Amino acid sequence: MESQGPSPGGDIPLLPARMVNEFTYCPRLAYFEWVDGEFADNAETTEGRFHHRRVDQAPVRKAKQAEEEPAETTIHQRSVWLSSERLGVTAKIDLVEGEGTAVVPVDYKRGKRPHTPQGAWEPERVQLCVQGLLLREQGFTCERGVLYFIGSRERVEVPFDEELMARTYELLDGMRLMTQATVAPAPLVDSPKCPRCSLVGLCLPDEVGWLRQPHEGESPALRKLIPSNDDALPLYVQTPGAKVGKDGECLKVKDHDEVIGEARLVETSQVVLYGAVQVSTQVVQELCKRNIPLVYCSSGGWFYGMTTGLLHKHVELRRRQYAVATDRERCLQLARRFVQAKIANCRTLLRRNHRAAPDTVLQELKNDQAHAGAVESLESLLGVEGTAARRYFSEFAGMLKEAEPGARFDFEGRNRRPPRDPVNAMLSLLYSMLAREWTVTLQSVGLDPYLGFYHQPRYGRPALALDMMEEFRPLIADSAVLTAINNGEIKQSDWFERMGSVTLTPEGRRRLIETYERRMGQEITHPVFGYQISYRRVLEVQARLLGRYLLGEIPELPPFTTR
Amino acid sequence: MRRHYLVTYDICDAKRLRRVFKTMKGFGAHLQFSVFQCDLPDIDVVRMKAALTEIIDQREDQVLIIDLGPTESHPIKRIESMGIKAEWEERRARVM
Ligand code: SF4
Repeated sequence: MESQGPSPGGDIPLLPARMVNEFTYCPRLAYFEWVDGEFADNAETTEGRFHHRRVDQAPVRKAKQAEEEPAETTIHQRSVWLSSERLGVTAKIDLVEGEGTAVVPVDYKRGKRPHTPQGAWEPERVQLCVQGLLLREQGFTCERGVLYFIGSRERVEVPFDEELMARTYELLDGMRLMTQATVAPAPLVDSPKCPRCSLVGLCLPDEVGWLRQPHEGESPALRKLIPSNDDALPLYVQTPGAKVGKDGECLKVKDHDEVIGEARLVETSQVVLYGAVQVSTQVVQELCKRNIPLVYCSSGGWFYGMTTGLLHKHVELRRRQYAVATDRERCLQLARRFVQAKIANCRTLLRRNHRAAPDTVLQELKNDQAHAGAVESLESLLGVEGTAARRYFSEFAGMLKEAEPGARFDFEGRNRRPPRDPVNAMLSLLYSMLAREWTVTLQSVGLDPYLGFYHQPRYGRPALALDMMEEFRPLIADSAVLTAINNGEIKQSDWFERMGSVTLTPEGRRRLIETYERRMGQEITHPVFGYQISYRRVLEVQARLLGRYLLGEIPELPPFTTR
Repeated sequence: MRRHYLVTYDICDAKRLRRVFKTMKGFGAHLQFSVFQCDLPDIDVVRMKAALTEIIDQREDQVLIIDLGPTESHPIKRIESMGIKAEWEERRARVM
């Protein structure tokens, strides 16, 4: 897609006719694409582009099609680009044909002719009409246009009658007004357009619609418009000295001269490198181009940073984030919510997995949760959080099965830097993985992962990622550690002790990462929306909801708590 | 939604064959000579077709794309293999 940012002079850029088409389909969609600079491909847009490219360049076909045109045609011009300052629009017209001063714009569309009374949907007719207006500006007479449907090889005539003209002017005005707004128009309600919309995953029409209304805690049965199993997956490279190269459509990992694995680019969501692993510039460029983050960690799992493509265009979102981050009261509100949700999830994990969770501890955690909701400062909140964490970790060992006799998985509370027992080592590794996951997710939706509301910014610390991960620690990381130990996926032989600190073997770490990734892919019922969704998608939905909250579209950021 | 596809091809020219093979490696797991198992969402099917269209010669070559249904329903389990056991690829994060 061509996208034009605002020109340096600060004047409003010309609207592409294509965007008027989107606006007619749904104003919110046009806002996302035009104002926020969001563009997501789906099967339809990709196919459309593929056909267009062929239309634009195929010379053989061009000649053949020209023969099919009526013999008297004297104008036959492909890819005509016209703009008008007066109308404020610009368009690339696939084909202009005609005779003398009377011309007809022809627009190529993928697929078959739709069966509607007018032979085409309104957005296409309006887009064509804009092209007609541009031709008229050039002094041509233009009374009609043609839509050519590639799928069924049919031409549909669209007369530029008064009704269509009036509608087109009305939409152009509406669109100009919209570009000045700082927040997107409201989502469509229960519309059949949404399931076919390429931006449905970031728009969240039903979710936002539901969260905007006042409601009681009941889960609605929302349409599931976001697929949960379409995810691309991460590639981890932890072999010291390995090299990552590109081979066609795949990433190829070599250890010395031996190929140790391949990953398809289309299926890769991020590339995570532990320690001394080399990547070629070609790989870095390809990953940037495809918007696949490249993440660097120390061999021990410490997150150094990441390389991504260009920064997200959605400036307004970051502006709102900064405004909220400097507002003490709103920071406190959000911080209370993060801590409350985290304590709730810790308590649930204990209740479900402990051999005999003492009622007193469960009750105390419940009190902590209430307490966290009432504190008046970030400092007291830190205190409450610390107390709750100590209570929770003092009972953590009760969730571990006595797997191997003599195995030392005993756990006496949380310790880190360096972790002194295997459970702590595993928790530390998975927390840093979760923090990385959140950093990538937040950045990909256009937020700044380094500026948080509860955690304060410190050098290199992704404070917002740490905020957002609070309630997911028990659900994803702690729970994956329990699975790894209780299912015997990690054994005593998978870790070794050196000078009081404990480290996993590379093989042990590989298995732990796999357990974590399995957890991320697990489908659960979304507690707020009631549909089945994987944790991986939950994170993305939650990050987008944070964006919707910061932009003022929804009154609260719903906590993610399980029962 | 992802669906399982079995993609098989017959390419008449060695150079195009190599290019088709390399392209297919980007979309699925190589199962047998000229046969790939691909688990793809719609969008990647379109991308795969687009990529193949650029390579093959419409008059000489042939590609068959066999839709085996949604990945959730495990249709691949209904395929019986004789001789050497078939290794179906499972989608999971890779750790190397
Ligand atoms: S999902 Fe629906 S409401 Fe949202 S942009 Fe698309 S069509 Fe509009």
